[in-house]
Amino acid sequence: MLEPSLLMAGLDPSALPQQLLNGLMFGAIYALVALGYTMVYGVLRLINFAHGEVFMIGAYTALFVSWQSGYFQGAQGLQRANNPGILILMLLASMIVCAVLGVLIERFAYRPMRKQPRIASLITAIGVSMLLQYGGALVLPVSPPRSILEEVNPYDGNHSISIKPKDAALQTAFTDAQARQKTADAALAAQIKLEGVSSEFDLSEEGKKVNSAALDARDATRGAKNNLDNSGMSLNVPYGQGIMFLTTLGLMGLLTYLVMFTKTGREMRAVAHDFDSAALMGMDVNRIVTITFVIGSSLAGAGAMMCATFLGTQLTSFVGVPWGVKAFVAAVLGGIGNIPGAVLGGLLIGVAETVVVWAGGSQYKDAIAFVILIFVLLVKPGGLLGSAKVEKV
Amino acid sequence: MRFWAVRLGSIGLAVAGAFAIGMLAQNSGNTVSRLIALAGLYVTLAVSLNLINGITGQFSIGHAAFYQVGSYTAAFLASQLVARGIITTTGMPISWVLVAVIAAAVSAGLAGLFIGLPSLRLRGDYLAIVTLGFGEILRIIIQNTNELGGSYGINSPKAFVVPYVWLLAFLCIAVCRNLLQTAHGLTFLSVREDEVASGAMGVNVTRIKVAAFVIGSAFAGAAGALLTHNEGFINVNSFTMDVSFIILTMVVLGGTGSITGSVVAALALFILPEILRDAPAMPLNAILGSLVGIALLVGVIRLAMDNKGLGREVMGARLWLGLGVAVGGAIVVSIGTNFVPALANRTIPSAELRMVIFSAVLVIMMLLRPQGIFGHREFGLGKLFPKEVKA
Repeated sequence: MLEPSLLMAGLDPSALPQQLLNGLMFGAIYALVALGYTMVYGVLRLINFAHGEVFMIGAYTALFVSWQSGYFQGAQGLQRANNPGILILMLLASMIVCAVLGVLIERFAYRPMRKQPRIASLITAIGVSMLLQYGGALVLPVSPPRSILEEVNPYDGNHSISIKPKDAALQTAFTDAQARQKTADAALAAQIKLEGVSSEFDLSEEGKKVNSAALDARDATRGAKNNLDNSGMSLNVPYGQGIMFLTTLGLMGLLTYLVMFTKTGREMRAVAHDFDSAALMGMDVNRIVTITFVIGSSLAGAGAMMCATFLGTQLTSFVGVPWGVKAFVAAVLGGIGNIPGAVLGGLLIGVAETVVVWAGGSQYKDAIAFVILIFVLLVKPGGLLGSAKVEKV
Repeated sequence: MRFWAVRLGSIGLAVAGAFAIGMLAQNSGNTVSRLIALAGLYVTLAVSLNLINGITGQFSIGHAAFYQVGSYTAAFLASQLVARGIITTTGMPISWVLVAVIAAAVSAGLAGLFIGLPSLRLRGDYLAIVTLGFGEILRIIIQNTNELGGSYGINSPKAFVVPYVWLLAFLCIAVCRNLLQTAHGLTFLSVREDEVASGAMGVNVTRIKVAAFVIGSAFAGAAGALLTHNEGFINVNSFTMDVSFIILTMVVLGGTGSITGSVVAALALFILPEILRDAPAMPLNAILGSLVGIALLVGVIRLAMDNKGLGREVMGARLWLGLGVAVGGAIVVSIGTNFVPALANRTIPSAELRMVIFSAVLVIMMLLRPQGIFGHREFGLGKLFPKEVKA
């Protein structure tokens, strides 16, 4: 454990905006997955533990589609084929497969249990989740170490956004230092050539002096570069993650439109408000539940595809567990059953995790989501945007 | 007079039974002895979670956390005793094991109090996620604490604890059973059935909930201490979320609230994966085929269960049709698998297969008997010898 003062000394404030941005991008994926949890909970009052495994299948679907469409494993790992159309194909395939899987799980595992106590449905959900994890381990490959990141992702590289321009005086100092280093390096090279030795360690007294001058010049350049970099502030957005974030926002917009402004959306809200009354009003609740699973699962599929492609998560059949748990925490944090709450919770957890890593507590990264959750629930038992009410287990 | 005879007789029988199991374990191999101890621990865990979850109706899904608190308390105590030269690393005297068990029960009980207090405000799924989160936070903290072995784990002296494991299990069963026989127990049940109504009837809901948490987690902690000295080595991987889920599954599968159900389900769910460990390797196509076949069969049985009102002949015809579809589906899948290059001609060792079978059995059991094996009912010797009722 570090002393608190040491811990504070290690913090680099200029890196914080970048970390916050990274956190938002991670958080967007948590939010996408959390939407699935919160929608299913809103309609059925069921914690859909198999949601993380739907996410896992979505990620694998993306992997298989990429293999089928030209990103194949060759002698040097995955071969690249620059075609963004394939990314769209991967996204759609993941969303469709996940939607089908979600509906199947609902139809065959949850619907028969609907009249039973909720804890029985919960155990069924845990069972389905374990079945998919361990069953998946039998047939699914463990993805190659580089996953489908970068090699498949044609949008390599960063987009740099400057927040504060770099100091002009420091810029001149850096250029000067660079020039001096060039001279010193040339002198060293000339000295090595003059003495006819292959290594700079075998030099004479005079040569050693030249050598140390060259090393000093290199240090000075490095220092000047650091000063220069710290004087300005810029954000680097990897293109892939930028696309991911924008796609996520687009999907959330679509979801908001669907839930708030369509007839189906109104029915969904009615069923979420009161299942039995909605049925009495003549709504086909089974249809609404199916649609809810289609939407929730396909959002998880979209999140999984983007996570596998742009974040480079290594795929195993257990990859859904950490994502599923954190997304669930995000959903509860925002107030489970509440759609804006899930987005808020997801972004909050993404940011909190990167801030913890930035502050030097990377080993506590996985705990911070729960810590925030517990403190929020102590103050506001219904989550940030939810409302608490007495209910029976 | 009869009261004391029954009491003393039961206590005598429980002690004798525990030591008989101990003798049995001593005379069998190391592996079997270890399994007998673990089975007893799972019985304790399931019955103690049943007190929180089934009897009091508080939705806790992080029972492994209290198990972990107890286990690490005992390990830390043992490491301190070794450091002070009071005991050696080769073996732990039983008297010290019992001290460790009590210390573990106290610390886990305090942890239960710590978690039980927020439960005054939280209900249902919110409480569930807090208990789950408590376990995860604890696991990560222990993983980063070098005094507790960090992520590697911690060694402790071993002891032969099988009789005490079962004694603890019997004690836990007795406490829960006797609680339900008294007026105190009725308040626990009333909190489960309706919190608002029982509060209106003068039940101190808060006190009951916290009491359930403290008692349940103290038993889990005591079980943890015995685990430490049975295994001789523990690390955080023994207390993951999966363990919590399996304990919860034991409670629900046995029938929430039923003590006998918890015991039977704990034994069954503990033994099943252990038997499967020795199962032979099987070809993949047979596995997939039988999974599909069983899934279809379960679907057919569910249909029959949901449509009891239909005539016998209609149902009979449908059942046969369903059976045919199930068998046909199984055959089609098992033959079809051979045409997928990545999956053809693969055999799966039983080590990878056992959790698949375990989870499949779990889902099937829940679909076919959602109320659990025993429902809310108990099963006792009285059921075998029903009392004659005079008309």
